[in-house]
This record gives sequence, C-alpha cells and structure tokens, in this order.
Amino acid sequence: MDVVTLASQLNAGTIIPEGIVTLTLLVVLVGDLIAGRKSASWLPYVAIVGLLGAIAALFVQWNGTSDTIAFLGAFNGDALSIVFRGIVVLSTIITVLVSISYVRQSGTSLSEFLSILLAATIGGMFLCGASELVTVFIALETLSIASYLMTGYTKGDVRSNEAALKYLLIGAASSAVFLYGASLLYGLAGGETQLDRIGIALSQIETPAIAPVVALVFVICGIAFKLSAAPFHQWTPDVYEGSPTPVVAFLSVGSKAAGFAFAVRMLVTAFGSLTEQWHFIFAALAVLSMILGNAVALAQTSMKRLLAYSSIAQAGFVLIGLIAGTESGYASVIFYLFAYLFMNLGGFACVILFSLRTGTDRISDYAGLYQKDPLLTLTLSICLLSLGGIPPFVGFFGKIYLFWAGWQAELYGLVLLGLITSVISIYYYIRVVKMMVVKEPHEMSETVKNYPEVSWNLPGMRPLQVGIVLALVATSLVGILANPPIDLAKASVQRSPILQASISPAKEVAVSRFAPVQSSEFRVQN
Amino acid sequence: MLSALILIPFIGAGLLAVLPNRFSSSQVKWVAIAIASLAFVVNIIVGYQFDPNQISFQFEEVIPWIDGIGFNYHLGIDGLSLSLLFLNSFLTVLALMSSDRDLPRPRLYYALMLLINVGVSGAFIAQDLLLFFLFYELEIIPLYLLIAIWGGKRRAYAATKFLIYTAVSGILILAAFLGIAFLSGANTFDYETLRSAGLPFEIQLVLLIALLIGFGIKIPVFPFHTWLPDAHVEASTPVSMLLAGVLLKLGTYGLLRFGLGLFLEAWSYLAPWLAVAAAISALYGASCAIAQQDMKKVVAYSSIGHMAFILLSLAATTRLSIIATICQTIAHGLISALLFFLVGVVYKKTGSRDVNQLRGLLNPERGLPVTGSLTILAAMASAGIPGMVGFVAEFLVFRGSFPIFPIPTLFCMVGTGLTAVYFLLMINRVFFGRLSDMVTYLPPVGWGDRVPAIALSIIIFILGIQPNWMVRWSEAQVGRLIAPETVAQVTVLNPKGD
Repeated sequence: MDVVTLASQLNAGTIIPEGIVTLTLLVVLVGDLIAGRKSASWLPYVAIVGLLGAIAALFVQWNGTSDTIAFLGAFNGDALSIVFRGIVVLSTIITVLVSISYVRQSGTSLSEFLSILLAATIGGMFLCGASELVTVFIALETLSIASYLMTGYTKGDVRSNEAALKYLLIGAASSAVFLYGASLLYGLAGGETQLDRIGIALSQIETPAIAPVVALVFVICGIAFKLSAAPFHQWTPDVYEGSPTPVVAFLSVGSKAAGFAFAVRMLVTAFGSLTEQWHFIFAALAVLSMILGNAVALAQTSMKRLLAYSSIAQAGFVLIGLIAGTESGYASVIFYLFAYLFMNLGGFACVILFSLRTGTDRISDYAGLYQKDPLLTLTLSICLLSLGGIPPFVGFFGKIYLFWAGWQAELYGLVLLGLITSVISIYYYIRVVKMMVVKEPHEMSETVKNYPEVSWNLPGMRPLQVGIVLALVATSLVGILANPPIDLAKASVQRSPILQASISPAKEVAVSRFAPVQSSEFRVQN
Repeated sequence: MLSALILIPFIGAGLLAVLPNRFSSSQVKWVAIAIASLAFVVNIIVGYQFDPNQISFQFEEVIPWIDGIGFNYHLGIDGLSLSLLFLNSFLTVLALMSSDRDLPRPRLYYALMLLINVGVSGAFIAQDLLLFFLFYELEIIPLYLLIAIWGGKRRAYAATKFLIYTAVSGILILAAFLGIAFLSGANTFDYETLRSAGLPFEIQLVLLIALLIGFGIKIPVFPFHTWLPDAHVEASTPVSMLLAGVLLKLGTYGLLRFGLGLFLEAWSYLAPWLAVAAAISALYGASCAIAQQDMKKVVAYSSIGHMAFILLSLAATTRLSIIATICQTIAHGLISALLFFLVGVVYKKTGSRDVNQLRGLLNPERGLPVTGSLTILAAMASAGIPGMVGFVAEFLVFRGSFPIFPIPTLFCMVGTGLTAVYFLLMINRVFFGRLSDMVTYLPPVGWGDRVPAIALSIIIFILGIQPNWMVRWSEAQVGRLIAPETVAQVTVLNPKGD
C-alpha cells in the first residue's frame, strides 16, 4: 500500500470537527497552565469559539465530498453522523454557557471542568460516527469516563461524590456487558471488527442461532444505559440529583444524542439481519420507559429528579421513531433530539439559575416565583410545556412527527401508549408551572420570599442569560419554523447509505398495498 | 384576512403581557377590549364579504408548514364556521367587558383571555386536521391558568380536572386524525382531501368512536361531563361565559365538521345511539339542575342539558336538523353566557350564590331589580318561550329530529320542560319573596354590570324574531355536507334505515 492510497483510505479530513474540538481542549488546558486562575474569565469563550468552529467544519462537510469513510472504515462521517455530531456540539455550547457561574460558585476550577466537558464532547462525537468495534468502545469509554469525572466534579459535595460512584459502578458494569457482547460479535463474524462486515457475517448464519441474539442483548444493554431507557435507568435519578446541574444538562442531551446515533448505526449495520429481534427489544424498552418514566415522575418533589424521570420518558418517545425504521422514523428521531436539545437545556438552565439564586431544587420552593423573576418563570414554563407537547412550542411538533412516523409504520400500540403517557406527562409538567404561576403572593415559599434582586451583572451571569434566552427563543419559534430542520433531518437520512439500505422495503410495500385493498372493499360495499 | 382573526388577538396578547407595570388594571382592560373589538370588526368585514351562495371554502389561505407530513397552514371559512366565529368574537368582547375592574395580575389575565380567543377562532377556521388540533390544544393551558389563578376556593382541583379531561379528549382526537390520514393513504391532513377519502366501514367506525368520545368530553355528554360543573363553579364569571358560550361549541363543531363530515356512513350507523345518549344527557342535566343549591351549578347543569339538544339534532342528520344544530349552538352560546353573567352579578353584589340564603332580590329599592328582570328573561329564553332565540332553536331541533328519532326527541322535550321547572325554582327562591335580612343594602349595580347583559338580551330578542339572520350563511353549506347522493349511499349501506 503506497502513501497515496493510504492517505486516501485514512481520509483524515473527515474528523476535522473533532480535531478542532481537540485543539480547543489543548488550548484550554495550556491556557490555564500559563495564565493561571485569571484565565477563567476568557477560557469559556475560547471553548465556545472552538465549538462554533467545529459546527462550521461540520457545515462544510455537510456540503462537501461524498467520500465519508475514514481510517480504513473505523469512522464513518456520513450525513447521519454530521447531524448527530452537530447536536452533541450544540448541547456542549449551551452547557458551557450555563455552567460558568455554577462552577465558579461551587469554588472549583473552571478550566478543568471545561477540559473534561470537551473530552466528553469528543467522545460523543466519535461515537456518532464510529463504525468499528474498537473505535466504538474507545469513543464510548471516552464519553463515559469523562462523564464520571464530571458527575463527581464538586468534590466538596457528598451527594456529588455519591452520584459519581454510582454512575461509575453501573456504567462500568454496563460497559463490561457491552464489551462481552462485542467480543461475541467478533467471534461470530470470524475476527471482523467492522460493523458492516459483522452485519454481513451475521446475515450468513442460516440456522436459528442463539449466539447473535445474546450478542444483541448485551450490546443493547450498553446502549440502553447511555439512553437511560428503562429498565437500565436506575442510575438516572440519583446521578441527576447529585451531580452538578450543568453536567446533568449535558448528560441528558449531549450524551443521550450520542447514544442514539450509536444505537442507529450499530443496530442498522451490524444487526440488520436481526431487525425483528431488536425492534422487539426496543419496543419493550420504549413501553417500559414511557410508563415508568411518566408514572414515577408524578411523585417527585425535587426538580432535578423530575427532569431525570422526564428524560427517561422522553427517551421512550424517541425510541418509537427508531423502531419505526422508516425514513420519516429516523428523521423524526433527529428532529425530536434537536427539539429536545433546546427545551431540555432551557429547563436545566432555569434550574441552574434558580439554584444559584436560592440554593435549592425542591419543586415546592418554586411557589410564587412569577412575582419575583418573570423571565425565569416564562422560560421554565415554556420549556416544560414544550416537553409536555403543548402547542405551539417545538415539543408539540417533535411529538407529532414522532407519532406520525410511528403510526405510519403501523406501530399503533406504541403510539397510543405514547399519546396516553404524554397526557400523564402534561400533568407533572404543569404542576411545576402551577407552582410558579398560580400561587398567590401570600402562598409564596420562604425561598422565593428571600429571592435576591434579579441582576445579571455578576460574573458568569451574562452567558447564562444568553443561554436561557436562546433556549426560550428556539423553543418558541423552531416549532413554527419547523420545516427547515425537518427537511434537514430528512436529507440526512436520505444521504446516509447505511439507513437507505436498511429502510425496509417491506414496510413501504405494506403501506402501498393497503390502498388497493381498501378501494376494492369499498367497491364491493357500493 | 382570516389570519388577522388569529394574529390580532395573538399579537395583542403578547403586547398586553409586556405592558409596563404603571398601567392600572382598568387601563389594561380597555386595551384588551380594544384589541378584541378590532378582531370583532375584522370578523364583521369577513361576514360582510362572505358570499352565502358559494358552497366551497372562502377566504382561503394555504401556506405549507411541514411538508414531510403533509401539514399545511390552511384557513378557510364556510357557512358552518362563520356564525360560530361571530359568536366567539362577540362573546370575547363581552367577557372582557364583564371582567373585574380591579383584578389582580391584569396583564396575565387579559393576555390569557385573548389567547383563548386565538385558539377558538383558529379552530373554527382551520381546514387542516392537525391545524385544528393545534388550536384545540392551544386553548387548554390558558383556560387552565384562568381557572387556577382567578377561580374560587377549590380552583386547583377544578382546573386540574379540566386539564386532564381535555387532554384526554385531545389525544383521542389526535389518534383519530392520525388514523384517518394514514388509513386513507392520502398522506395529508387537508380536510377537503380527506373528505373524499372513503374508508372501509369498520375503520370509519373505530375512528368515529374515538372522535365521539374525544368531542363528547368537550361538549360534554353524560358520562364524560363531570369536569364541567366543577370548572364552571370555580371559574370567574367572564371565564364561565367563554367556557359555556364558545369553548363547549368546539365539541359540537368538531363533531359536525369532522365526525359527520368525514365519516358519514359510520355516523348514520351510530346515530341512533347518539340520539339515546343525547336524551340521557338532556334528562340527566335537567334532573341534576333541579337538585342544585348553587345558582351557578344550576346553570352549569342546564348547560349539559341544552348541549345535548345539539347532539340530538346532529344525530338526526337531516338538512333541517343540521340547521337546527347551528341555531341551537348560537342560542345556547348567547343564553348561557347571559345566565352566567347575571349569576356573576348576583354573586358580586350579594357575596352568595346559595339559593337557600338569597331571597327577594327583585325588590325595586334595595334589591337588584334590573338584574333580576334580566335573569327572568334569560330563564324564559332558555326554557324556550316564543319570541326569543331559544324557542326558534329548540323548535327546529325537535322538528328536525322527531321524524328520525321520535322517542329520544320526546325525552329531550321533557328536558326542555324541566328547564322551566329548575329555573323557576331558582328564580322563585332568589328573586321573589321578602328581601332576606342578611343581604340588605346591596351595592348599586353600575352600568358596567348592565351593558353586557342588555346587549345579550337584545341580540337574543332580535334573533328570536328574525332567525334567518342566524342561518342565512349556513343553508347552502348544510346541503353540501349531507349531499343527496351521499345520503342515498348511506341508505343503501344501511338498509334497515334509521
């Protein structure tokens, strides 16, 4: 193999966005070393600029070449991965915006936090495109280990330490299970590590074998842990409650989006021949997540735990699109994650701001906030209502699209369950809104009575304000302007060869077959 | 043009929400009334330019919203929506006028009231199923907050109950809409396209049942009605006026437009059962109203009884009965709004709605003579005394339904008779007799508390004498909805006949 072929096979240009983030990470680290404590005032902006650069690079790639396979097949920078990487980077940008004042107040070093966050972002980005078992595992572990570190970042806080330990133990166990599944795949495929070749090898196993199914189940364990889909959700409430809130914001969106990208790629390429099985397992996960997440959220008293269960439930909704397995199914997953990015991060930004000003996360402490902080109340209300699927916010359109795709794929049961559980979800989201908006001045909680004067001039508050306003505007307006992002999501599905290959022709036939049948029946009746 | 009906109150609501603090409550109120009146004026212009002989949609506006799922921003009006649109804009203005002058948190209150106007107007003019659903859901949260913030003692309970019931109704409707859009293979939510979709009968039946329960909660029909008395009792007067006057009409409008319009075959199959449900609902509402001690509950249960007449005439599905539906919708909207308003005045002046405590309010010197007289008038209108709109509407309902469903119609007639019973019982206790010592020296009733009632009474009289003004827009449209050829087809499919 000569140098030119090698270079073209490496195709290193595909990972320029990751390269930019890595460079940013280095700048943040070195900048901190050189400038010391003072650097905290400008490092976050360096990080944001770097991440914006990564987005720009992704944009160039979107319009760029069709040669997406890089590193001898270890990484696939197709349109699907570009979109998901974009979501991960966007979530990191908003997380940086909202974390500055929080980390500062917790008395820990900001630059170290940023470095770990950027490392997690790199892991997540690689996970979106990884198409070879070793790369997958390394990306997954980069993301996971950085996440463990971040959950335990406020060292002085006992709950943070507890959360980190729990997350580490459960995460390590699920990684181990995943690794075991991967090793089974390696063996079954006769020593192949590339996902597409594994897929081919698995499809050649003719007799009904148990081994591929076992491998599938183990791999799904690893995926479901990242998605926090029930019954692999147990870590979620505790970790969400204990960890620093900006970390939770990233875990709930960035890490989850990477998990979905990974799930799509892994299942579609490697387990193409076991589609029925993984659809079945995911349907079970979706049912459990929707029921459990929404039902348990009803009883929560802590805002962060509420959002934890809500994120479990939301994962259940998104799984519907994945199971649909059609073009609009995958597109609806992408669009919903895009919508979820803004509404969930907006919600977390408000929780961060509230806890910065009052030091509490209890829902009952939000009573009467309307009187003291209208912007916070408005943003949190809109983000929560949007999560509940109330029009005209973006969540409504996301849910409609998901359910539409699910219904089109004839997943009637799942869609109906989704509809029913989303009614339940409206109830607990509105409970918070009610607490803030409905309570009279004399019913105000003690915390809100002592609410500090609203001021944005403290260090780190401006970026937080920017983050909140950004989330507010996006949550209110993206729904009304939903067409461009949905077109983008559809284009990314159409331009990804792996999805095009998997979109089962059977389903399209089923839909089109229906029309003649019905018309002939109708003729008989007439 | 039609977008203006949505945008004016929508932008107005945003404007009110950011109005500076120094505006007093009554100033905010006047701004809100100005905005609502502007929408009403636009509505009048639309009505003036509307051509009643043209049966297709008019003033259509189509903008693609989400291409991927065939969702368009598609507005248009026909004869069925126009009169309801009028009712909505008119009652919104009156409801705003009857709001308390020194209300707490006025900016939020008036913004939410205008948002309800947006939702209801939008639902009446949406010609895309998803767009209708969007507007239908849009009105839930403002109404929830209006009940939960400015309501009575048990407002939290009532608001939550309303929210849950309406949300359930919403998902049933959405499920049915998704169902029809896919199963017809049309891949669009456009109303006109789906009307000609022609689904197999069994599928129609399933989807229609989902729609019936969904809209049945909203109307409300027994046994899905329990949220309504609670919501009415706890809501403040203007909210009750809107709730009874227009929000419930979303249910009957939805049934007429989507239930009957899209699933005519299944509709005529289920119609006998609907008529029975209407009869039960009418009798149930009337008998509950007799037993109530709270004036507002009497009106609320009478509302259940009278909404059932609309369902009855919808079930009959003849040309006459559909016209009766529109008349009864308008009549009930006006009369129940008037009744709720008057009960609100009584409550404001005496501090009580309990029929056992109140006595002799008709006393010309120390009582509430004008309010009392108007209440008697409203009760007469509601009971169907000739000369007022209630008579015309109920007569048409029974005339239209009797040939099709004689027995249920007879039961509904008994319900009308009972209307006179419970309202006379209430009036007898509250307004006649000696003025109770507990409520002496009532504060005087200002013109602000009279104008809306007098305006409503005048309209009730005018439409009672000249009912043609109510239906002249709709007649052509009704003919199209149950076009002769489709009716023939129905009878072929359902040889037993109805």
